[in-house]
Amino acid sequence: MAELELIGGYPAYMRESIKLVEKTRSRRIGKLPPQMTPQEREEILNLCHPDYAPGGKRAIKVGPNAGDIAPNEVVDLLEAYPLIEPNQIDLSRIDYEIDVLIIGGGLAGTSAALLANDSGIPANKILLTNKLRHGDANSMMAQGGTQAADRPNDSPVIHYIDALGGGHFANKPDVLRALVEDAPTVIKWLEELGALFDKDADGNFVELTGGGTSRRRMHACADYTGMEELRVLRDEFRNREIPVLEFYPAIELLTDEENKVVGAILWNMETEEYKVVKSKATILATGGFGRLHIRGFPTTNHYGATCDGVVLAYRAGAKLRDVDTVQYHPTGAAYPQQIIGLLLTEKLRTSGAQPVNKDGEEFVFPLEPRDVESSAFIRECYIRNKGITTPTGMKGIWLDTPLIDIINGEGCTEKSFPAMVRMFKRFGIDMVKDPVLVFPTLHYQNGGVETDPQGRTNIEGLFVAGEVSGGVHGKNRLMGNSTLDCMVFGRRAGIYSAEYVRKGVKIGKPSLKHVEKYLKMLKDAGINTERRSPILLPDYRGKAVLARMIDIF
Amino acid sequence: MKIPYYPGCSLKTTAQNFEISALAVAKTLGIELIELPRWNCCGTVSSLTSDDLMHHLAPIRNLVRAEEMSENLGGDEYKLVTLCSMCFNVLKRSNLRVKENPDELKKINDFMYLEKDYSGRVEVIHFLELLREIGFQKVKEKVKNPLSGLKVAPYYGCLLLRPKEIGIDDPEDPTVQVEILAALGAEIVNNPFKTRCCGSYQTVQDKYAVAELAYDILSRAQKEGAEFVTTCCPLCMFNLADRQKEVVEKYPEFRSIPVLYITQLMAVAFDLDEKYYGFDLNYVDPRPILKEKGVIR
Amino acid sequence: MAEKKISVMDKIREAGKSITSGVAEEDIKYWVTIHIMGKAYRVPADLTIMQAIEYAGYRLIRSCGCRAGFCGACSTVFRRKGEYKLQTAMACQTRVEDGMFLVQIPFSPAEKPLYDVKNEELESSVILKYFPEVARCVSCNTCTKACPQDLEVMDYVQAALRGDFKAIADGSFECIQCGLCAIRCPAEIVQYHMAQFARRMYGIYGTPREKNVEKRVEEIKSGKFDKEFQRVMSLSLAELKRIYTEQQNTREVY
Repeated sequence: MAELELIGGYPAYMRESIKLVEKTRSRRIGKLPPQMTPQEREEILNLCHPDYAPGGKRAIKVGPNAGDIAPNEVVDLLEAYPLIEPNQIDLSRIDYEIDVLIIGGGLAGTSAALLANDSGIPANKILLTNKLRHGDANSMMAQGGTQAADRPNDSPVIHYIDALGGGHFANKPDVLRALVEDAPTVIKWLEELGALFDKDADGNFVELTGGGTSRRRMHACADYTGMEELRVLRDEFRNREIPVLEFYPAIELLTDEENKVVGAILWNMETEEYKVVKSKATILATGGFGRLHIRGFPTTNHYGATCDGVVLAYRAGAKLRDVDTVQYHPTGAAYPQQIIGLLLTEKLRTSGAQPVNKDGEEFVFPLEPRDVESSAFIRECYIRNKGITTPTGMKGIWLDTPLIDIINGEGCTEKSFPAMVRMFKRFGIDMVKDPVLVFPTLHYQNGGVETDPQGRTNIEGLFVAGEVSGGVHGKNRLMGNSTLDCMVFGRRAGIYSAEYVRKGVKIGKPSLKHVEKYLKMLKDAGINTERRSPILLPDYRGKAVLARMIDIF
Repeated sequence: MKIPYYPGCSLKTTAQNFEISALAVAKTLGIELIELPRWNCCGTVSSLTSDDLMHHLAPIRNLVRAEEMSENLGGDEYKLVTLCSMCFNVLKRSNLRVKENPDELKKINDFMYLEKDYSGRVEVIHFLELLREIGFQKVKEKVKNPLSGLKVAPYYGCLLLRPKEIGIDDPEDPTVQVEILAALGAEIVNNPFKTRCCGSYQTVQDKYAVAELAYDILSRAQKEGAEFVTTCCPLCMFNLADRQKEVVEKYPEFRSIPVLYITQLMAVAFDLDEKYYGFDLNYVDPRPILKEKGVIR
Repeated sequence: MAEKKISVMDKIREAGKSITSGVAEEDIKYWVTIHIMGKAYRVPADLTIMQAIEYAGYRLIRSCGCRAGFCGACSTVFRRKGEYKLQTAMACQTRVEDGMFLVQIPFSPAEKPLYDVKNEELESSVILKYFPEVARCVSCNTCTKACPQDLEVMDYVQAALRGDFKAIADGSFECIQCGLCAIRCPAEIVQYHMAQFARRMYGIYGTPREKNVEKRVEEIKSGKFDKEFQRVMSLSLAELKRIYTEQQNTREVY
């Protein structure tokens, strides 16, 4: 803060708490509180998890999942009017007539494009469209790693059970099996394309565990895993000259008389022009919903994570699954104000950092599954009142990061977490010497548009991959399974959409009839609102300016 | 004796045989050539520009490093040894320019504010000069396998000798390679075209023009009876050796002649391990003739 | 208990307000003036450049991506009051300063050359084949000074001339491809495209293939785990919970 004097990035009163952390450090090294029993886990979730606290969710009134519970912010988008009137759009002129349209270019969308191409769809019959730039996605920000059971003491079955338990046994079994069985292939594929995974002197992958993961199987590229993976896939994509659009989000899907999805309407964010894409297969890879700030939480997600894909698919009649659960990442940055909500990878805890409260006491096993861990932090701050309050009113607990170098040797933090070290250094904090403040942050959409092992939805012609899909992770995703999900199901959606196309699908006339039907459903359900969706981008403009703004030009 | 050493880009790529043989030969003579840390490309031709200072940043930055390294090594000598004649020429000329123009040196130092200032103390020398300093008698003492019967025509090219301000020997009639080869026991063949330009970077524009020059230089050497040609420049090496392919295209009767770095012959004469000869990278393999002459097994 | 839960959630919402819905004027005590493309705006002192631009009323479409310093979208060039030196930064990770004079560079015009990594060799000549401008590097170090990630960009460009792919990979690994180096380079090199190519080449040709994963892929293909999967997937929920708990108790020490 401008008026507070900062010592090493922290105000004096926070330094007092840090002293307590330093005092207890030596007795805490290597000694961890016990893991929670299943009952204890159940209890703390009910007590503190934002999903379980009442008032945050309600039943959806319309559509295939009518009656299901989902967060208010999501239901607000489903019970909202389209951005366009169907009769505004001239569908007689088709701008692109292709085989595979991919909406969203993160790890999932880019993988899908590559595999569709590998499976026989020529490059010029694929189109990848992005709301922002190709690469502006949550994938780019993934830090910790990608799971794959490739060690001799591990197996896909063990991985399966880990993910099943972490997901509260709600994962779709055959979908989860596809995830864990394809995992080693994905790693090998990335390695062959030139991705630089952490390897030891003998050339073996350096693999760590994660929350709820019983074996070491997290493949990482320092703490830039997502960035390295996406950079490599995007480079390969560009070399193949597959057409790509940027700043062209999809604002509605198109359906034919048999309610097959046959393309989408794309809208140029900069020129406001729309384009009509007629496509035999459409792959939805639009990512997550962090920028909805569910329950007012800050988020780790990128600017464009606004749940667009779920809205578009739902209007076309796609079934959703597990949309009632939201993943909060326990260690989002809580101080300084400028970086509130940003991701501090779980790998920090796997490397030895411990959560401690304002008195320097440990209070939870560092690697419970994320929902349990988040709940423990919330309890510590808001029920036991043992958190630290920052000058801007944010509460958090310490993550004792100096332990990383103490346990693993000097230089380990800098080597393994260059992104984190850099981020804190920019704000005057040395995370090797001082602990950092963390609090749960909105991180991941556990559910979404229901998928099957081939990436298919209940709507013919519509495929789905990545964070936007539901069924892979059940009610709670484990670390390292998201980048994996994107690539496994991105690849599968690419392969099976190509197969679908090459089998010879006949598609009818593109229309917005499903939107008209949806409008009627909304009116019949008595939903009168100014809300429109998808929202495309959040709005952070200053309130003062907005109050004096008029749209005249 | 420890001396800062500047390799240059070619010595790490196409001319690795020059480096490996020279470093080994130096070691035998009691000299440890220590590679400059964080060196950058000398800039070659563009660094010879006379109308802007920007292109002198590259060579002067290397001299900053050399100055720093010499300070750390202690002593009062501030030398920088190079092997590549082009690098030698560029570094020495840039060095001379800033020594003669202190206001230009100040500008360059101000621009490179993240580096220590260059004070102009470094002396750039070529490896051949170093050998001359050590003395050819010392070279002779290390010879265990005299190159008797080998007819060698030394070639100098341009950059070691011109312009006069930086040349290491007489520009018309240089003798430094002769003296080394004599110490090695070889028979010297004088090639009147030994200081003729090989064509330099024209090789990327017009390889046949270079082939013409190479033909003149090499066939004259052959006419004088040479079996080998020696050089100290990776670019001359490329033009005289690798371009023999184009020479043969134009002059089918031309017989190939091996071109070696003089340090390769020194390594053979010092009877060093085969791994220091580096003959795999020579376009025309010298081993058949060397074996025939009984110089190597 | 029910009342407690609601108020916890409300408290959390209140605590994170500044980042989820913008800063409210009443809370601000300190202000600074910054110039966005020459126009002066009074903004709260503790915001990042990105938050300040939004506070001033701009809704960002370009120049905004991950908001966390990973994606390179928000490249910003600025000068401080009274200084001639040109500074570079990522808007989402840099605090505003009074008198800052800034502009954002949303795009770096640099087409990437097309190559097939499967058909090339690990040699410096390959880099020069696709990026001949690299040879124009005058070692002026402007790229290093421009890099918001504090990478030694010039060093890895020089490594390209030597064919040292490992040095390029190590030196450029944390590059977020923001484009500031390429925009500033007097030799018009596009450093980050060259580095991407070199990193892939190094990953493919410069590092050994990992053996475990190759073996595991074969095992899965041969159906080694099919029986085990069938068994597990036919278990009841109670049994699954039991083996899950057991498995969690046998977790590898991390």
